[in-house]
Amino acid sequence: MKYEMVAGLETHVELATNTKIFCACTTQFGGEPNTHCCPICIGLPGTLPKLNEQVVNYAIRAGLATNCEIPEISKMDRKNYCYPDLPKAYQISQYDKPLCLNGYVQLSNGRKIRLTRIHIEEDAGKLIHSHGDTYVDYNRGGVPLIEIVSEPDIRSAEEAKEYVEKLQLIMKYIGVSDCKMQEGSMRCDVNISVRPVGSDELGTRTEIKNMNSITFMTKAMEYEFSRQVDILESGGEVEQQTLRYDEVSNTTSSMRGKEDANDYRYFRDPDLVTIFVPKEKVEGIRASLPELPDQKLERYINELEIPENDARLLVKYRKVAEFFEKASEGTKSPRTAANFIIGQIFSILENDSAKEDFEIKVSAESLNELIKLIDDGKIKMNLAKKTLSKMLETGKAPSELIDESDMGGIDDNTLNELCTQAIQSNPNAVADYKGGKTKAIKALVGFVMKNSRGKADASAAEQKLIDMIE
Amino acid sequence: MVTHDDILQIARLAKLSVPEEELDALTKDMGEIIEFANTINNAADDGEAFDNINNLSNVLRPDEVAPSLEPQEILKNAKDSENDHFLVKKRVL
Repeated sequence: MKYEMVAGLETHVELATNTKIFCACTTQFGGEPNTHCCPICIGLPGTLPKLNEQVVNYAIRAGLATNCEIPEISKMDRKNYCYPDLPKAYQISQYDKPLCLNGYVQLSNGRKIRLTRIHIEEDAGKLIHSHGDTYVDYNRGGVPLIEIVSEPDIRSAEEAKEYVEKLQLIMKYIGVSDCKMQEGSMRCDVNISVRPVGSDELGTRTEIKNMNSITFMTKAMEYEFSRQVDILESGGEVEQQTLRYDEVSNTTSSMRGKEDANDYRYFRDPDLVTIFVPKEKVEGIRASLPELPDQKLERYINELEIPENDARLLVKYRKVAEFFEKASEGTKSPRTAANFIIGQIFSILENDSAKEDFEIKVSAESLNELIKLIDDGKIKMNLAKKTLSKMLETGKAPSELIDESDMGGIDDNTLNELCTQAIQSNPNAVADYKGGKTKAIKALVGFVMKNSRGKADASAAEQKLIDMIE
Repeated sequence: MVTHDDILQIARLAKLSVPEEELDALTKDMGEIIEFANTINNAADDGEAFDNINNLSNVLRPDEVAPSLEPQEILKNAKDSENDHFLVKKRVL
């Protein structure tokens, strides 16, 4: 029998606010242990939490960017569980009235992954286990999170990967989180079950907790999928349980079984008042949203006529997209800027995170200046490429690097002269060409380019050389 | 009706141990407490009416950082601490 994966994700995203969700302590990552704490976030009796307005704004922003509805009334609840990472023995979260409902994220294959809800809650502290003891640091305790809950609409590890990457990109574009998985500011729980292809029923699911890398998440999902299929194939039943993924052995193991299923005994937090979100506020936030990655992609492809693959590369990094838009402004074809960025500039940025940070010495204005020199016919592509290399090394503007004498193309007479010289100085290449090695012409073109200091038009030179030789 | 099992379940969630001989008394007390709380259920036909009983909404705080306390202040009441961390016995959730 053929089986398909049915998965839903719970994605925790740390919000980029300055302060914690219920107190004025900083949210900065790291710090010496227990230095970002106060009586409120360590849950001392008699303290009162007060909700950070920016948390509400950011969560609504996230909701609107993922097509959610924003109900007028929302509230905070207590989720009770007893574990040292929670100083109060409850986490303040949202239960039946979250800030955002019924959204979706659309994948490139056209499938919509529906979002059940997005709610706000506080993060827990950090535990370090050592020799039977546990060391507790509450710096992270009370840092605001949104939890984005999807419906079980995901059908493969590949889809899960795209879904998470898409959420990541959207959150970065709208500025609510840096989504750094390695720092734990984005993490996923995966609910996963299998069923025979064609069936509409949901199988028994397991939950894999706390995936903090997309690579490991996809591996864990693939492992868990085959584990469950194997169980069903051999006539067994999948047991509902919470699993932990081991990165080293690439296996999942049980954290707690059904008999230990949580009973969170949610109830309204009496310390926190109702959150009322008027329509005008929602519309105000909607109007402040930037162009989202999908809209950008469509515009780049349809209006700017950037090939789809290139457009995807530009949109994938927010800073790159911004740079591209400035660099291509007022130029003849946005493709020129796109080619420079994806070709020459990306070649010096080794990995994803370097492209993400996009720290280069060239400003978008300088590249724009360079492209306009090409557009105006003042410099040829060859010289432009060389100049860009120098710009990337030195951070200088094109005007500082290109000599007045280098500007402008060369006239026909000069080209004739250079081609004649090329033929005279390279008898071997000429002989090779005549002998049928057509590639030999490139050596002659190279000579012309070099001696014109990049000003000659390479294809014109090539044609001229061929005419002369033949 | 509250049963012995309910009491044991609640105790387990709260990480408390309940001696066998206290079960009867605790079960009776818990039953009475819940019965008392049920008065509210009888009074209200609409749960929403209790959603905002104090008629307050949007008590919010601007996102401005204020200094935190020193770790020694934070750890002052801790039963055990080491290297500016709270120290507790290891438990598995």
